[in-house]
Amino acid sequence: MRNAIMTIFGALLLAQPAWAEIGRIKHSAGTGAVGRGKARLPLTPGLQLEPGDVMVTGKDGEIGATFIDDTRFAVGTGSRVLVSDFAFDRATQVGRFMAHVMRGSLAVVPGQIARSARDAMKIRTPTSLLGVRGRRFIVEVR
Amino acid sequence: MRMVKAAPIAACLILAACGGNGALTVLPPDSGEDSSVAILESGGRAGETLVTDANSQTSLTRRGPVTRPIDPSKLSTRQKALIDALPPPPVRLMLYFKEGTTIITPASQPTLDWLKGEIADRPGVEAQVTGYTDTLGSSEDNDLLSQARANEILEMLVGQGVKREFMTAVGRGERSLRVQTADGVRNAANRRVEVVLR
Repeated sequence: MRNAIMTIFGALLLAQPAWAEIGRIKHSAGTGAVGRGKARLPLTPGLQLEPGDVMVTGKDGEIGATFIDDTRFAVGTGSRVLVSDFAFDRATQVGRFMAHVMRGSLAVVPGQIARSARDAMKIRTPTSLLGVRGRRFIVEVR
Repeated sequence: MRMVKAAPIAACLILAACGGNGALTVLPPDSGEDSSVAILESGGRAGETLVTDANSQTSLTRRGPVTRPIDPSKLSTRQKALIDALPPPPVRLMLYFKEGTTIITPASQPTLDWLKGEIADRPGVEAQVTGYTDTLGSSEDNDLLSQARANEILEMLVGQGVKREFMTAVGRGERSLRVQTADGVRNAANRRVEVVLR
């Protein structure tokens, strides 16, 4: 019985990050949405982001987002950017961050996660994998 | 034999036609930090190419990265727009309190005024408010006092138009002292609330 309870509790703990807030939309312009599973959430300042979310913009779209580790994103026009993995412990300032720039452009100012360990933050493009080690940069995918 | 040789080239042409190539533009740091972006994989091959030069552009293709310097004043309109679209950097600030109260010190008033102005400039702002005390009094009382301090500042921020659901207020009592002291010691630097605006 005790084992069963522990197993359920363990499962809850593991599942918990899937609901946890990882960052927020700060501003947006033009057309765009946050894709979460089958839902398309309208862009509003303060919208909470979760792991697995895809930020999508149209030809005139733009999104600014800040994550809980202080990483900042600007998503450019005609883009699709997936945050596939995000975990951050506020107390220890350690975590991991993986984003995919499937198309379009993304400006990144790294935060605590990138500083916490070598290549704790990574960006994937259709051809490449980048390890983020501190600088501001732009990734463009045609 | 010929077919075997030709196959990879044909595959490359097809892949190139599919798109997905890109570019990495490394900008000067905004905070004086000096580090790099590493290309850990390109075209499915693992490797480690460090891009350490600010104001450089690196091709991201299946053939591997090639870096060249760029003139930072000649970024494309799209790139400039993208940089402008970055949210403002998060700020952390400290407010100090009169002993045993939830009243801020006169010296902290300008910080509070600045905070109010900053909130107005940040759409979708969220605030993380954490209260602390010095070690005078019981730790139970200090937990309550630190929470009351955090709540006081949170209510002030609500008055400034920050939505309540965009904020958290936590009291940490005499844990995480800013200045280490023995128990039962008055210390002005420890009677504080930290506000993170993001």
